[in-house]
Amino acid sequence: MERWRLLETWGASPELAMGLDEALLDLRRTPPTLRLYTWEPDTLSLGYFQRCADVPDRARAGAARRPPPGGPALHHAGELTFSIALSLSHPLYRGPISESYRRVHGLLLDALAAVGVAGRLREELALHSDREGSGMCFAKSTDVDIVWEGRKGIGSAQRRRHDRVLHHGSIKLAGSALEVGIATVEGIGEREFAPHLVQAFERGLGIELVPGEPTERELAEAALRGPHYTSAEFVRRR
Amino acid sequence: MRPEDRKYAPTHEWAKIDGDTVLVGITDFAVQQLSHGQVSDLVYCDLPSVGRQVEMGETFGEIESVKAVADLNSPVSGEVVEINPVIEEHLEVLADDPWSEGWMIRLKPTSTDLGHLLDAAGYEKVVAETQEA
Repeated sequence: MERWRLLETWGASPELAMGLDEALLDLRRTPPTLRLYTWEPDTLSLGYFQRCADVPDRARAGAARRPPPGGPALHHAGELTFSIALSLSHPLYRGPISESYRRVHGLLLDALAAVGVAGRLREELALHSDREGSGMCFAKSTDVDIVWEGRKGIGSAQRRRHDRVLHHGSIKLAGSALEVGIATVEGIGEREFAPHLVQAFERGLGIELVPGEPTERELAEAALRGPHYTSAEFVRRR
Repeated sequence: MRPEDRKYAPTHEWAKIDGDTVLVGITDFAVQQLSHGQVSDLVYCDLPSVGRQVEMGETFGEIESVKAVADLNSPVSGEVVEINPVIEEHLEVLADDPWSEGWMIRLKPTSTDLGHLLDAAGYEKVVAETQEA
């Protein structure tokens, strides 16, 4: 049976959150990894190339950063964040990008079902949560996004570099003042939802997720890279 | 079959000799992968400054779609002598004509030998393997 590493880094600072994700993407000897984490403090992610002016509500957020995976702005508050670090040759990511989303989102739908949430892919559905001009991830959807109650409830993006991929996503368990009208799981905490996600990955992929810790090398790389993503110069570069 | 007048990197960039320079772009397959068949899904392309030296395999820029950010990797070493000014404001050119109007950078290469890259037939195999889900 294929074994993946499970990392849980609860209450991660924005620097550790992003620095470790980038280290997982770039260090080629990194084993297949599913990382689960939360943010401390709540943090606004701007899209990698997004202009500050594209996000009118940015001033209402606390810390801000630009993450590697891209996508529109996202407020990391009341959510379980996940990242998957893998080789692009892994069956989960082989083939068209849209198909890789469908496979990963299938696993997430199974985890949602385990807590009684009947989610689905958006496909052609028109969403109540879509709105123009906010620059926020949860106000813009694609056909492979996960929705329930006619609203987007999980946002995710991929960063592909050479032969590796980092797939980063946010499962909304509660709303935030910057993300009104989105779908949320409600009634369950991040650490309570995490085992359902782990089980869905293990069942769906036929793998064993083995709890582990970041290596010294990964932590050293994270410490080097993390501050870049929250530096004022980088955040305000556009 | 894709154009045979250029060479290809397995990371889906192409390189074409043009006089004593090399034009670099990305393939139709790369565009399709990123755009999910909808050109409006491409949202930004970051190209390097003229004068920058790039090494073979080094990232010279990045392209973002609604669902992914991907590196642009230089298939040859050299100095960037020109960038395509159309790309940033008109990403649709990448879908409409990735082989000609959609070139991204022009390099003054350290060598015009493209023997380390794939020919069109070799690249077709890479595409076929990538498509096997």
